[in-house]
Amino acid sequence: MVECISMKQISIPTRREYIERQRREKDWRIFGVFPAFVPKELFWASHVLPVEIWDPPLTTTESNAHLQPYICSVVKLGMEALLQGYGRDLDGLLFPHTCDSIQNMASMVHDFMDLSLPCHFFYHPKAPYTEASKWFLRGHLQDLATGLMGGDDSENRGSEMSPEILRPWVDQGREIHALLAELYAIRASGRLNVSNACFYEKVRMGEYLLPEDYQGVLSSLLENDRGAKHDGPVVFLSGILPSPREILVLLDDLGVRVGDDDLLACGRRFKVQTPVGENPWDALVEGYFSMPPCSTRGSLVQDRADYLLEAVERCGAVGVIFLMVKFCEPELFDVPQLTRILKDAGLSTLVLDCEVNQALSGQLATRIEAFVETMRSR
Amino acid sequence: MSFLGVARYALMRDIGAPALFRIMEGRKKRERQIPSYFGPPMDSLSELKRIMMRHYYLARYAEGVKPIAWVTSGAPVELLRVFDFYTIYPENHGALCGARRKGPELCEEAESRGYDQDLCSYARVDLGVAFSGKTPVGRLPKPDLLFASNNICQTVAYWYKVLAHHWKIPLIVFDTPYNFDEISERNIDYMIRQMKEMVPLLERVSGKKYDEGKFKDILLLAKEASLLWGEVLSTMRNKPAPMTIFEAFGHLAPIVSLRGLPVAIQYYQSLLKELKDRVDRGIGAIAQERKRLMWDNIAIWFKVKDFSHLFAQRGMNFVTATYTNAWAETTPYMDESHPLESMAKAYSLVILNNNLNHRLRLMERLIGEYEVDGLVVHSARSCKPYSVGQYDLKRLLLDRVSVPSVVIEADITDFRAYSEEQANTRLEAFFESLEARQ
Repeated sequence: MVECISMKQISIPTRREYIERQRREKDWRIFGVFPAFVPKELFWASHVLPVEIWDPPLTTTESNAHLQPYICSVVKLGMEALLQGYGRDLDGLLFPHTCDSIQNMASMVHDFMDLSLPCHFFYHPKAPYTEASKWFLRGHLQDLATGLMGGDDSENRGSEMSPEILRPWVDQGREIHALLAELYAIRASGRLNVSNACFYEKVRMGEYLLPEDYQGVLSSLLENDRGAKHDGPVVFLSGILPSPREILVLLDDLGVRVGDDDLLACGRRFKVQTPVGENPWDALVEGYFSMPPCSTRGSLVQDRADYLLEAVERCGAVGVIFLMVKFCEPELFDVPQLTRILKDAGLSTLVLDCEVNQALSGQLATRIEAFVETMRSR
Repeated sequence: MSFLGVARYALMRDIGAPALFRIMEGRKKRERQIPSYFGPPMDSLSELKRIMMRHYYLARYAEGVKPIAWVTSGAPVELLRVFDFYTIYPENHGALCGARRKGPELCEEAESRGYDQDLCSYARVDLGVAFSGKTPVGRLPKPDLLFASNNICQTVAYWYKVLAHHWKIPLIVFDTPYNFDEISERNIDYMIRQMKEMVPLLERVSGKKYDEGKFKDILLLAKEASLLWGEVLSTMRNKPAPMTIFEAFGHLAPIVSLRGLPVAIQYYQSLLKELKDRVDRGIGAIAQERKRLMWDNIAIWFKVKDFSHLFAQRGMNFVTATYTNAWAETTPYMDESHPLESMAKAYSLVILNNNLNHRLRLMERLIGEYEVDGLVVHSARSCKPYSVGQYDLKRLLLDRVSVPSVVIEADITDFRAYSEEQANTRLEAFFESLEARQ
């Protein structure tokens, strides 16, 4: 199995260098965006590079003075990044309405921190969806686009985004989703010859790359890495994000292939079916409602269970690992009923409660090894 | 709906419940000795107990007689009342379980089924009740419908999804966009559209037709009850305050659970009369009110009694709380001539659906109006929308209005998440800082 294609092969510098270069050489404005659902097409169309803040490699020190010990590490690290001054490199922030903690962090940053940055809020409607949800999302996206249009001193500032400006970016977003769908399908069939760690490293580059560069990364994965079918046990990943990375490395070492995922940071956002049509706003709205069921969007447990069972069967997984982030309420509420349904369907399940960026403890490694043994013995 | 069920419900309503209350009254324990640091007890308490006991008692017999809905405390229940739903408030029931120190036992019922100890304990208590059937009120009726609004937290939507899956019943989520800035016309329109879309499902589940006139009447009842509740709270502006916030936590039950029903109005009229009388006669809730405090967040239900003694002993009275104020704050928006629009505003603009700047201004206002000397901040492990941001609010209030404060790390019902020693240490330091400010 190929360990990982190198950065040089696809000509992408480090994340920080890349972002700085876009600003310096191409005059892109840079926005920090928090998890999870971000209508990136609006940003691109406004000449803004959205850079996602999920798990910055920091140690929480200053954020402890602002956030209680029972707040998840995604929120704490995001806040830490701002408190440590990383906001200085940004031109704005976006907070999607993902959970109560991100909601209140957004307000803390907007109302109490003196960052002198425009802060935008993206309230995506919650399930069960109705006609009102669609109506609201469309208008809200248009409002957000108006807020993003133009810089502080641009004459476009505050003007409405026309369909003509938006359309090419929606098309590009659709192409990316098509590439991701193809990549996921090949991986599900067992013909993708890259390690689990490499796969997630590459697909997560979409958290900061411009669409054409991200397309290049995905294409290179697709073109260069089709290989022989893998024989080891197949696992499905659910939960929040593929972290800590050491878990992926351990799965690689144990000969376990990840067949598919519905991770909040990955599959749940990648599998978007944006219809081709005249109106790019309609396409964006339809794309949002086409995404897989998600706890943070209020999807019903049965809908998510049905989706998981189908995806698990498609990739031939015999087990499901939930990569949880400690204190993540939306996910923690779903998991007990989901695991029961999955077990009833004859699948092994493992729930790992982790902190983002934590080292892989011996205890965690032992639990994973034992789980893999269980899968092998099936 | 069976004839037998209807007859049994009517029998229990007209004869069973009053008889039960008479028996309970007759069994009155020996006269409690009231410590000298408290003022005379309030008479309204027994009426409150009677109303709430009747509510939970009749709930047992409502199954199959009336459509039953489990509802979140911030949901626009007025709409359900049009269809004659018997409503159960799991948060109110959770508070009751917490006050009776049943929280951990019921939480464990949920935890044994995989629900993490870090989840909201109201939710864990309620799931424990749903899974095991255990409750200190005897029995809760199985709902026909779940009605949640995320204006108080997203947690209720996650929690009610679990119930919906467990019982395979319909769930309505009234989605109220968070007011990051000012409320927008788009948000109001979104909420109005949702309320209109709910009607066919409510008609189907209840078997009753929507009646606009009835809806307006109910809205007026809810508004009047909320206004009365606001007046009740306002009596605590007087010195000495005729009631403590710990008592108000109890008197909150009808405005949460019986909003939109005449009984809530009758109760608050009677309570207000008693409080005004106490004010006229200079009767305080505590004997020597030396310091006036504000409480932030939901009560620590299992410590309400202990705390009421602890503070009263020191001549300190809680005269206001952001929590109790929540059911009075948005009342002025209710308007029967624009029922849906006014409901959208009233339910969207509640404290927890508003940005922290709004909360800061509200707390500043309450501190001024109630002449508050100090603030106790309950950092509730269960409630992230209430708790995230409290550390900053505490600092800002000290800067802006020079009010000393203390943060108590605790929980609403689960006393396993509470450290007596840590709380006492912090409170002792707080008492010293308050006393130093003569």
